[in-house]
Amino acid sequence: MSDSTSVRVASLRQLTPGKTLCVDVDDREVLLCHTPEGIFAIDNLCTHSAARLCEGKLKGVRVFCPLHGAAFDVRDGAALTRPAVRPLASHRVTVDGDDISVTLTPQVVAGG
Amino acid sequence: MADTLATDARTADSPLLEESYEFLGDGDIPCSRYTSSTFARQEFERLWARCWQWACREEHLPDAGDNYVYDIGPYSVIVVRSDEDTIEAFINSCTHRGTRILGGEGTGYTTQFTCPFHGWSWSLDGALLELPGRWDFPHVCEESHKLQPVACERWGGFVFINLDPDARPLGEYLDVLPAHFNHFPLEQRRIRAHVQKVLPANWKAAQEAFMEAYHNFETHDAPNGANAQYDVFGKYVSRFIHTIGNYSPESLSDYPGDKWRAPPLTENEMLQILSVFGLDHEDVPEGETARAIAARDLRVRLGKSWGVDLSQASDSLMLDSIEYHLFPNMFFFPGITVPMVYRFRPNGEDVDSSLFDILILEPLPEGARHPEPPEPVHLTAEQSYTEAEVLSWLAPVYDEDTGNLALQQQGLKSSRKPGITLGNYQEVRIRRVHLTMDEFMAGDE
Repeated sequence: MSDSTSVRVASLRQLTPGKTLCVDVDDREVLLCHTPEGIFAIDNLCTHSAARLCEGKLKGVRVFCPLHGAAFDVRDGAALTRPAVRPLASHRVTVDGDDISVTLTPQVVAGG
Repeated sequence: MADTLATDARTADSPLLEESYEFLGDGDIPCSRYTSSTFARQEFERLWARCWQWACREEHLPDAGDNYVYDIGPYSVIVVRSDEDTIEAFINSCTHRGTRILGGEGTGYTTQFTCPFHGWSWSLDGALLELPGRWDFPHVCEESHKLQPVACERWGGFVFINLDPDARPLGEYLDVLPAHFNHFPLEQRRIRAHVQKVLPANWKAAQEAFMEAYHNFETHDAPNGANAQYDVFGKYVSRFIHTIGNYSPESLSDYPGDKWRAPPLTENEMLQILSVFGLDHEDVPEGETARAIAARDLRVRLGKSWGVDLSQASDSLMLDSIEYHLFPNMFFFPGITVPMVYRFRPNGEDVDSSLFDILILEPLPEGARHPEPPEPVHLTAEQSYTEAEVLSWLAPVYDEDTGNLALQQQGLKSSRKPGITLGNYQEVRIRRVHLTMDEFMAGDE
């Protein structure tokens, strides 16, 4: 039941405000985003053509895919602009002192 | 007005002592300019497609790949930092079948531009990169199908665009602005707040509500409406300086009622009005003026809070509403406590509503890097400015300023009188805009 387990993934010092950090959780790439509204976690691969969002840019609460410029709301993973139309999975984040932990949302089976 | 600036405890900077008024006529301005869809369509073709307008601030584009989409009526432009030293602009439209490349207005980032329809792509400098199914397009070459360039220049930390392929240089258009703003460098400021609101009136009616202080008495129930100087510096630039913290009861001699006039306000009462700025003094010491005391308090308080040396700032710069207008729709305030930038434009292609952007530009310490700009707060026509907390004491003032607009837009439609009438002095800036607009609409510009 690893899907519902909270896993420590990084320390707060590693995640500069306004920046992102890609971490591996159970063989899944997760993007931590340090925004003015707090820290959020979403899948790292763009739902359009699987480019790595950690190579894009975080602006406010939006992250931009480096390949085609699609924007996602990092608070809930919503796809905001084309060419992305499907949302990213968003994961629960807890911060305890210097520890950032993530609880993964179960992966959706493609076509399911 | 000029006497106030010349006799302030700390005298105004030289550009603020200049006076430049001339009579520009007294004929009425047709109401149809504000209400006619045909006129609005002609504006898109003859004005908006051919004039300089700021699209964003340089601080929106700190790194290569950062972009900003700017929409004006039917047109959309991508502004991009294509490398560390270069900012360019392109029409936001695919050279294949015309699809808009980037979505809504505002900031973005990408390492290349890709059309979401068939996947044609371009590098950040607009060169054609990939053309899926290249074999089917032997008639397409890199030169013919690069992104369509748009004239793009910078001034004062702003990025300007002009959709006219034959645009004259921005420098020819700025008139006195570079010389005057050498004293007040806007590039040395950061966006503290950005509020964008839909206003229920044509863009010209909306901006004209901000081009004179004549309305102060009735709209704001304030004493100093007549206490302003109006200047016209050429075809494109005008200014008012509306002094804050003093007034002349004589200027209100034919205004209805005795309010603000009999008895005249004391210096202490004046300081009370200025207390919205947040002052240390509650009373004006003997022999001092409210204006000098307020300016002194604000130099210390704001300078400390921003880490900026304001010790040399004049009383006028500290307090006054100093508003430069650049044709057709841009306002720049060099003031410290009243430090805004405005932009008015049509709301899409609707003749009856407009978009009003307010930026609060705060001075930055010398050598400091511009922080990431805040996201704009969006307000509908029905919402109050008080819902944008970042505006603080300005919010209720903007509600008053914009509260007449729906009435005016409706009244312009029902008027039997074919034109609006302007005051020769206090409303001369409005006339200047219409005169320059005449030249654009006639195709002379």
